[in-house]
Amino acid sequence: MSIYVNRETRILVQGITGNEGAFWSKHMLDMGSKVVAGVTPGKEGQKVHGVPVFHSVARAVASTEVEAAMLFVPPRFTRDAVYEALDAGIRKVVTIADGIPLQDQIQIRAHAQSLGAQVVGGNTSGVISPGASMLGMFPYWIERVYKPGTIGVMTRSGSLTNEVTAMVVRAGYGVSTLVGVGGDQVPLSRFAEFLPAYQADPATQAVVIIGELGGTMEEEVAAEIAAGRFTKPLVAFIGGRTAPAGKRMGHAGAIVTGTTGTVASKVAALEAAGALVADRPSAVGALLQQAMQKAGHQ
Amino acid sequence: MKLFEYQGKAVFQAAGIPVPESRLVPCTSASVAVIAGQVAEAVRELTAASSSDNKPAGGDTAIVVKAQLDMGGRGKAGLIHVARGPEAAAEAARTIMGKGYTIPALLVERAVSIDRELYLSISADATSANFVILASAEGGVDIEDLAKNRPEAIRRVVVDPFRGLQGYQSRGLAYDLGLSDNVAKQFAAMVEALYRVFRGKDAELAEINPVFITTSGELIAGDSKLIIDDNSLYRQREFQLAREQFDSDAAYEAAVEGIPYLQFDGDISLMCAGAGLATTVFDLVNYGGGAVANYLEFGGPNYQKAQRAMELCLKNQSSVILVVTFGTIARADVMAQGIVDAMKLLKPDRPIVTCIRGTNEEEAHETLRAAGLEPLLDTEVAVQRAIDLAAARKGREKKDGRA
Repeated sequence: MSIYVNRETRILVQGITGNEGAFWSKHMLDMGSKVVAGVTPGKEGQKVHGVPVFHSVARAVASTEVEAAMLFVPPRFTRDAVYEALDAGIRKVVTIADGIPLQDQIQIRAHAQSLGAQVVGGNTSGVISPGASMLGMFPYWIERVYKPGTIGVMTRSGSLTNEVTAMVVRAGYGVSTLVGVGGDQVPLSRFAEFLPAYQADPATQAVVIIGELGGTMEEEVAAEIAAGRFTKPLVAFIGGRTAPAGKRMGHAGAIVTGTTGTVASKVAALEAAGALVADRPSAVGALLQQAMQKAGHQ
Repeated sequence: MKLFEYQGKAVFQAAGIPVPESRLVPCTSASVAVIAGQVAEAVRELTAASSSDNKPAGGDTAIVVKAQLDMGGRGKAGLIHVARGPEAAAEAARTIMGKGYTIPALLVERAVSIDRELYLSISADATSANFVILASAEGGVDIEDLAKNRPEAIRRVVVDPFRGLQGYQSRGLAYDLGLSDNVAKQFAAMVEALYRVFRGKDAELAEINPVFITTSGELIAGDSKLIIDDNSLYRQREFQLAREQFDSDAAYEAAVEGIPYLQFDGDISLMCAGAGLATTVFDLVNYGGGAVANYLEFGGPNYQKAQRAMELCLKNQSSVILVVTFGTIARADVMAQGIVDAMKLLKPDRPIVTCIRGTNEEEAHETLRAAGLEPLLDTEVAVQRAIDLAAARKGREKKDGRA
């Protein structure tokens, strides 16, 4: 099994006729994802890789059942596109857009929360349950990274995810569901908000989080463990231990402001809660083996 | 994009927030004497224009000369001086310019006579998805210190991003700070004006620290800190990236290009794809005792910009360029080809270490081998290789120096 997206999830792609939209829709289909509809205003009646295109999300959901929306929409139109999906009743939305205005993100997140919807992104590769389905852009064909398995992965990064997940696979495991919450200052969904699903998912035996300096998402995960709401083994890698304060390390969200967002604070919180924290990607595999054995898994 | 104090104050003033009367002296002249002369002239203008309320009988108007640069603790660093009269202000300017900083401009302001100082800021709270106003009756201090030592001295107002700031919230904040009468009214108006700035200009942070309450009971912004969200610059056209906001040519050129770049003073240039991976490589270099010359990330939409990225790295006096990628959309073969092409064109005078993996990595490795580069597969091995090469060059230079 998996969380967020599985073999049966019926997916609508907004921006399906664009370059990226068409390219990654093909890969989503090839992997077995159920892409059932696409949306590009003005292009209703066309088909992309056999998927019917509609003018609007409302028109698409009127003609076919949709559970999740995948957005290949530029950052400046993302707020509009997310609202469109939410207004059509869709409650799972993934946006890969890199560069969504900060105040748009605050509004999107506030609106999604009021509806109980889970919007994932931006600045992410998306969500993938290897071998079952994906919402986004992952090279699922690279077996040493995207092998199906029992480890849930949550990440703020793209390339680093490949680096770390390769270590998970090298240690003999695979991935149940990988959720990229993205590298922005305001991730539309946060690490801790996926923990209940991972906790409930029988196919997930442990979780690896790939964090970095900036914000408080790692501390929120620690709080969930400390409160006893998440009880599976958890291993973290957190980048930016040696980053200087006040400098933005590539991602919009990777910055220490004042005393908030230091890696030291994240590591201390996670370790105090009983999680294992790797200081480098190559240490993740051994720590994961250790955590799994302690929990009585293989 | 962090605005300079004078830019932020101009935005505040346009929004109806009172700021001190001022003149800006851009430090375009290479001659400190010329700049000092311009400061003296600015003081004469300010004095002539003002119906001075702080002019002691027979004395000169008090003036503040403030260096405009992106740096906290300017006062302690001796970059803010109070002076009376044109000559003293000119002398203050000479002192400031002699401190050894790169200073794009001096702000010459009429001093106000201060009774009390307050703190006021507006930012976004990522977790609760609200806007947050922070205020304190203890202004002029480091807000982080205050938050740590006396959190009860900070008032917090949460603003719903759809409802916006309500009148009761700004009024209530004024009274909660212990203000009354006309001062409370002015403060509420200032909060509302700052909120309009924050929303209207797509700010990440709009801060006034300190807010002065003058001896005659007027509120006035003593400083400005206004950070505009980079992702919103497309709809905030009045704010454009400028060279003086960056600490090196390379950093400015990278920003214009949209390539994340940070300047350091070590000898290993990082040219990585993926921000998280670049940050991790940055850590690994530091763990291994190496020193980073520059952080550069050319992943995502920039993965075809290998040549531009290498040009930026070559602007540094680094000993080695370390390329680490594990790309998906950012295809390995495209990046490898880009690096090989860039090498042909730029003929780099220093070794290049490559660890390029991900989509189409086999082709990438062929391309690198054909160009005489060794395709490494392990990030930590590549980092160690770069550290060794940098150390070897340092060793050679030492030896040459002795000989």
